[in-house]
Amino acid sequence: MSDAVTPKPAVTPYVNKRPVSQRIVDHLKREWQIYLMLAPTVIWLLLFLYKPMYGLQIAFKDYSIFRGVAASPWIGFEHFETLFASEQFLRALKNTIYISMMSLIIGFPVPILLALMFNEILNQTFKKTAQTIVYLPHFISSVIIAGIVITAFSPSAGIVNTILSWLDVDPIYFLTKPEWFRPIFIGTTIWQEAGFQSIVFIAAISGVSPTLYESAVVDGASRWQMMWKITVPSIMPTIIIMLIIRIGNMLEVSFEMIILLYQPATYETADVVNTFIYRQGLQSGQYDFAAAAGLFNAVIAFVLVMTANSISKRYSRTSLW
Amino acid sequence: MSGVKLESIVKAYGAVQVVHGIDLEVKEKEFVVLVGPSGCGKSTTLRMVAGLEEISDGTLTIDGKVVNRIAPKDRDVAMVFQNYALYPHLDVAENIAFGLRIRKESKENIEKAIKDVAGILGLENYLERRPADLSGGQRQRVAMGRAIVRRPKVFLFDEPLSNLDAKLRTQMRAEIKRLHQRLGVTSIYVTHDQVEAMTLADRIVVMNDGRIEQVGSPMELFLNPVNAFVAGFLGAPPMNQIQAVISGGDAAPIAEFAGQQFTLPPLPGLQNAVGRKVIVGIRPEYATPQTKAVEGSVSCTLELVETLGSEALLHTTIGGEPFVIRTETLGNMDQLNAVNGFTADPALVKVFDAETGVALSGQLRVA
Repeated sequence: MSDAVTPKPAVTPYVNKRPVSQRIVDHLKREWQIYLMLAPTVIWLLLFLYKPMYGLQIAFKDYSIFRGVAASPWIGFEHFETLFASEQFLRALKNTIYISMMSLIIGFPVPILLALMFNEILNQTFKKTAQTIVYLPHFISSVIIAGIVITAFSPSAGIVNTILSWLDVDPIYFLTKPEWFRPIFIGTTIWQEAGFQSIVFIAAISGVSPTLYESAVVDGASRWQMMWKITVPSIMPTIIIMLIIRIGNMLEVSFEMIILLYQPATYETADVVNTFIYRQGLQSGQYDFAAAAGLFNAVIAFVLVMTANSISKRYSRTSLW
Repeated sequence: MSGVKLESIVKAYGAVQVVHGIDLEVKEKEFVVLVGPSGCGKSTTLRMVAGLEEISDGTLTIDGKVVNRIAPKDRDVAMVFQNYALYPHLDVAENIAFGLRIRKESKENIEKAIKDVAGILGLENYLERRPADLSGGQRQRVAMGRAIVRRPKVFLFDEPLSNLDAKLRTQMRAEIKRLHQRLGVTSIYVTHDQVEAMTLADRIVVMNDGRIEQVGSPMELFLNPVNAFVAGFLGAPPMNQIQAVISGGDAAPIAEFAGQQFTLPPLPGLQNAVGRKVIVGIRPEYATPQTKAVEGSVSCTLELVETLGSEALLHTTIGGEPFVIRTETLGNMDQLNAVNGFTADPALVKVFDAETGVALSGQLRVA
C-alpha cells in the first residue's frame, strides 16, 4: 500500500454570479405571497407615520397654510421658546407627567395581578365568565365609557352620589372639581383596559412549563410560593417588555378619554400635552406651534423608551432590541 | 424501612382506566426501573407515587406509612423530571437550594448542602450560572442535585435521560448508577429505553397497557421472559420471534416453520403441545451464523450486514419473516456476506403460545 498522501482538492468558494437586481427579482417572484401580506401594513406605515414626518419641519417655520410647508420661512427654535415660556404648556406637561406616572404605578400592575388571579381560578366556568366581564370594557367605545362615567358621577342621578346620599354626604360635582379628575380618569382607564392588557400576561403564564410547578409541589411549595417564586419570575421578561412599551407611550395619555371627560373647570389638573396640541393646532389654527409641542412630546418618548430599553438590557437580559 | 409498596393501585380518568391494579414492592435501597412502551402507564404510576396524580384505588405505602391522602411535600420523595424542571431565572446554586428555602432551612445548612451536592455532582464551577448557560448533561446534574439535596427517602426519576444525546446518555447513566451506589436511596426510575433499564436496575418492572407483565432482575427477564411481549421488549436487537407449529419428534418436539424444522428442548410443556401454533423466540446473539448447511441448521436469506465494529448484525429473512443474527465480525466480512443459515442451542430457545403469548418452555438458569 502506498504511503503517498493524496493532496486535498482546492476548495473554490461558491460565487453567485447573477446580478443583485436579478436575485431580488427572483426572490420577489418566489416569495410574492409574503410581501403581499406585508404590503397593507407597510403602506399604512408610510402614509400615516412616515409621510407626515415631512410636515414636522413646520415646528421650525412660520407656517402659513396659504404658502404651504416648503414656502413658509424658517424661524429656528422660536416656537419652542414660546412653548417653554407658556404657562399652559408647562401645566400640560406637568399634568401629563403626573397622570402618566400615576397610571404607570397604579395601572401597570393591575393587569399582571388580574392575570395571576385568573391563573389561580380552578373552576373553568367561573374563570371564563370573569375574564369576559373584565375584557368587555375594552370593546366598548370610549365615548360610551365616558358617558357611563359621566352618568355614574352625575350629582343628580349618579350611582356614586346616590350611595353618598345614603351616607348623608352632600352631592359632589366630581367632574367639575380638579382634585377629582385624575383619580376618576386613572380609574376609568384601568377599568377599560386592564382586563384586555391582562391577556398578554395570561398568555405568558400559560407558557410556563407545568413541570416547574410539579417540581415545586414535590419540593413542598404552597400555591402562594409558586406564584411568587415561579410564575412571576417566569413572566418577568414579558413584564419588562410591556413596561418598556408602556414607558415609550407614557406621554400619550389616553387623549380621547381626557377630551371626553375634561372641561375648562378641570384644565388645572386635566389638560395634558396632547389636549394642549389639539386646542392650539386644530381649534386655534396654530399648526406650527402645535407641531413644536408634538415634536417635543415625541423626542421625550423616544428618549424614555431608549433609556428603559438600555436599563432593562443591562440588568435583566431582556430588551425590545 | 424506606421501601415503597403498591397494592392494587388503579388510576382512572373518568370511565377510562389506565393503570389496572398494580402490585409492586420496592425494597429499601433498591433501584427499580419501570420500563414499557409509550402509554403503558409507567409515568402515571411514578406520578402517583410522587403525589402528582391522585390514586383512584388501592394502597400506596412509603416507609411503612399509607400515603394515598398525603401531600407530595410530606411524602419525603424527590423527583427528577424529563425536561429537568430547572427554574430559568435562578442560578445553579439557587436551583439546588430551592427545596431547602421552601422548607425554611437555615442559611448555614443551605450553604453547606449546596457545597456538598455541588461536590458530589461536579458542579462547583457552575454554581453562579443560569440553566440557559449549561449543557444538557450539566442541567441534568443540577436536576439531580435538586433531588438529592433534600436527602429524601425515595428518588423518583421520570425518563431523566431522554433529552440527552446517545453519548451523554451513556455517561449520565453511569453517573446515576454511581450516585445510587454512593447514596443508597430507594429509587424508582421510569424509562422506555430497555438499555437504561438493563444497565441501571436491581429489578426491572416491564409494563404494558397499564399492567405489570413481569418483575425480576435484568438477567432473569432477559433469559426467562414470561411472555412474548417481555421477550420482544428486552434486548437490543430484540428477540427474533418466528411463527411455527409444533410437531412430535422421537426424542424432542420439533418446530416447523417456512418448510423447515427446528428441534426444541425436550420439555413436558412442549411435548404435550403437538399441533399447537407457537412463537419460537431466538435471541440474535444465540444464533450462530453458518455459510453452509450443517446438522440442525435453519436456512435463511441474507439481506443486509450492519457492521458495528467488533460485532455485526446480519439482517436475514426466513420465509419472508425478518430474522436478525448478532455475531462477531473478526474482520472477516467475506464470510459474513456468505451466511445462508444459522444454528441455535435448543436450550437457549424460548417458545411462546401463539395465541396468549405465554412462555411454554422451561426456565434458564440465571448465573
